[in-house]
Amino acid sequence: MKKALILAAALTLVPTFVAAESFENAYLQARAMYGQGAVFEWNGKQYAAVHEEEVEADIAATAENAQMMVDKAKAKNKEVAELGFEWKLTRGIIKDAESALTAGEYRKALDLAAQAKYHARMGIKQYHYAQSSWQLSVPQ
Amino acid sequence: MKIIKTMAFGVGLVLSAQISQAADSGFTLETVNPEADRVALQNYFKKRFPDAELNDYVNGIYAVDSNSREQWEEIEEFPPYEFAVEEGEALFNTTFANGKGYADCFENGGIGIRQNFPYWSKEEGTVKTLEMEINECREANGEKVLKWSKGDIAKVSAYMAWTSRDQVIDIKLPEDDAGAMAAYLDGKKFFYAKRGQLNLSCANCHVQGANIRIRADLPSPQLGHTSHFPVFRSKWGELGTLHRRYSGCHKDSRSHPLKPQTETFRNLEYFQSYMNNGLAINGPGARK
Repeated sequence: MKKALILAAALTLVPTFVAAESFENAYLQARAMYGQGAVFEWNGKQYAAVHEEEVEADIAATAENAQMMVDKAKAKNKEVAELGFEWKLTRGIIKDAESALTAGEYRKALDLAAQAKYHARMGIKQYHYAQSSWQLSVPQ
Repeated sequence: MKIIKTMAFGVGLVLSAQISQAADSGFTLETVNPEADRVALQNYFKKRFPDAELNDYVNGIYAVDSNSREQWEEIEEFPPYEFAVEEGEALFNTTFANGKGYADCFENGGIGIRQNFPYWSKEEGTVKTLEMEINECREANGEKVLKWSKGDIAKVSAYMAWTSRDQVIDIKLPEDDAGAMAAYLDGKKFFYAKRGQLNLSCANCHVQGANIRIRADLPSPQLGHTSHFPVFRSKWGELGTLHRRYSGCHKDSRSHPLKPQTETFRNLEYFQSYMNNGLAINGPGARK
């Protein structure tokens, strides 16, 4: 009886452990603990904890590239705003990126625009998560 | 065999718990059950704060935290909103250029009606708030509309709330109107969905987080939330409307805040006010 209960409990918890070992969790943990570019291992291979926007912004610091990144950030933020999940600081970061671009500080513009685009992308992700999870905290 | 039977029983228990939770949920237009929501919320807080009186929830955090209550009771000895109510009364009774006034726009001359707001307008297919109707009254009589968050609109609204003190909140949700139910559900969903850079829902602070410190502040329980608006906040140093507070809260989660009186905020007010049915209006209130 006792063994059976332990087995049942283990079966119930298996999905939790599987989820804890997902690539995303390993990535987020490495990023949170060791910061941008932290190297972590997942399923026997090594990866770097870099946001996709940071990869995008890792290009030559030119006016054209900076403008392109600012445009991408603006487009993504428009997308999240339409979903009603825009974050508070994003517009300001885009403005700062535009100011840096005007001032000829292209690296700074690229990095700020990447940050803004990341905010917007996370807002979209949050929107999709909310659609399936908002019910969880409603008292029953 | 015995083990298999026990396992099957265990798995059955887990599944039945999930199924029964889904049956009670009321998360879609087909299943949403406002009355069940209201009762569940009351039961939740009864369990969390067994010593608090249900009717006292209109006093927010002061219903559940005795230290805060002491300070608030001292503030209430000389209510900071008193002058604003007087100014609101004067504004309410000032006739428009065409000779009419606010009293001509509202049922019962606008006296003692706060408890019926917001309501669902079938004709307009939207939730109508008191502030919305104050401005519509002005517009219909050729007057300039007031700004939504503070100032004269809050004063007029405060006077109207004052005349409605102790009236029991009675928000109607016509069950035969899918639009009303959709608006309620939209408000409910907004309240419980996590948003903003801090990934916080209204419920995270005002249901699960009620009376749990966020730095130096104690968030109030969601039950009773709308009863005391407009409110004089010490932080503002003046009176503000419910939607001003909504914008502030929205911003606090590091969301880009919606504008007061947008459809989403009106739906949120509809949901929250329905939760308070049976409690009494005690606006305007004083808060930190």
